[in-house]
Amino acid sequence: MQPVTLKGRVIVEGTCTAKALVSAKPISFLGGVDPADGKIVDENHDLCGKCIKNKVLCFPHGHGSTVGSYVLYSLAKKGLAPKAIVNQTADPVVVVGAIIANIPMVDQIDIKKIYTGDTLEVDACKGMVRILKHKEA
Amino acid sequence: MKILVRLGDLFNAEKLIPIKSAHVSGVSYKTLGDAPIEFLKALADSGARVHVRTTLNPQSLDHEYLEKRLPNRLCEKQLEILEQYERMGLAESLTCTPYYLQKPERGSHVAWAESSAVVYANSVLGMFTNREGGPSALAAGIIGKTPEYGIHKAEDRQPNVRVNVKAKLRNKIEYGALGIHLGKALGDRIPAVIGLHDPSKERLKQFSAALATTGMTNMFHLKPPKEKTEAINVDDKDVKQTITDLSTAATKKPDLVFIGCPHCSQNEMKQIGRLIGNRKVKPATELWVCTSAHVKKKCDNSVKRIEQSGGHVLTGVCTVVSWTETLGIKTIMTNSAKTAYYAPTLNRAEAILAPLKECLKTALKG
Repeated sequence: MQPVTLKGRVIVEGTCTAKALVSAKPISFLGGVDPADGKIVDENHDLCGKCIKNKVLCFPHGHGSTVGSYVLYSLAKKGLAPKAIVNQTADPVVVVGAIIANIPMVDQIDIKKIYTGDTLEVDACKGMVRILKHKEA
Repeated sequence: MKILVRLGDLFNAEKLIPIKSAHVSGVSYKTLGDAPIEFLKALADSGARVHVRTTLNPQSLDHEYLEKRLPNRLCEKQLEILEQYERMGLAESLTCTPYYLQKPERGSHVAWAESSAVVYANSVLGMFTNREGGPSALAAGIIGKTPEYGIHKAEDRQPNVRVNVKAKLRNKIEYGALGIHLGKALGDRIPAVIGLHDPSKERLKQFSAALATTGMTNMFHLKPPKEKTEAINVDDKDVKQTITDLSTAATKKPDLVFIGCPHCSQNEMKQIGRLIGNRKVKPATELWVCTSAHVKKKCDNSVKRIEQSGGHVLTGVCTVVSWTETLGIKTIMTNSAKTAYYAPTLNRAEAILAPLKECLKTALKG
């Protein structure tokens, strides 16, 4: 396939290539993600049971507790953080977490165009997300 | 500082503005874990000190009751966190309701992190604060400033969706349920909530806490929007369904009945004392009432009533950020929709969401 390029806004600079993990629902890192293993634990979440480690985590925006910034930091220190975060709308709580955990982050991306399992190249220095390969392909 | 400049750049802030106070989240060892302690230590070691009054969210235990029941290791780690904040000059306030400690100044700009307090401050108290992450509120306290973006600017405080509440809300749990329901529907939009029945400050406190739990909305209005906007309707069915969904427990017999999320006001303490009267807590149940040390001091009679009943008035802590599972608590009954929402994940407990009177009736004999 021809790579599709989505253009967004730079939040935290950095680059990576990794598989996408996409959610249609907002995420609260406190209570939503287990800091011990990086798995989504909220039973009402569409990614419940999935591990965010080394993924490009794509979700609309954050919600809930403002301690979420520190949860992202803890995940990064344990090597359980996502490789990058791609949002529709940046939530200050997630932004601050990505800054202190140094996780590349881009927002203003139409995440509906991305599917779980797609191979993504994130260039958060330019605010770009390239879909290199769809999962089915 | 890097955090604040980055936030300001992202959200097109033209400048940093002075703040009257900061309020920091990320205090409980239970929610924070180990890695952030090193982050706080490094900050304190570098000589960082707050330059405006900066208050703290609740911790994971209190000294009179829970500290004696919890493993030493947890208590020591908790103390280590408090020490770092003390080194940086934060006031040992330990409450999610900083607005009860000092009379809030209408129109003042602050940098608060506790999400329930953010919504309440903007919407009910007429203050100006973004929903800060724990570290950015701390950074704002250190430099005494915050980037001027979002809710600090009048043009970004206008309602952009109208919510018609067709349900007649009768108590705090229904206000809480409305918040949980709307938080999911609104995302980051600012609603004008029309049709609320008797919106007392304490009912709006429950609404604020719940709205912030499921959404990233940091403000609501109660007056109709001047311009025509999209409208959302909420009816009785939505509110009842939300209460049913939040009540995950199959049993009606909780191990713990918990009141005080967000922390109780003086008025709420008095009401609880009055409702308890001379009754006693059942042997198989615990009753916790959580508030700040500041409010507890002003409620001698109510505190006496609660304690004589066999209940516990715990200060500086709450169920959500405490180690209830370590104490063997499996079912929590509460009048707080926020607590009921977090109980299954943060407390590994089932929840029963019920009005205050029913909570107390369940906890007490007679």
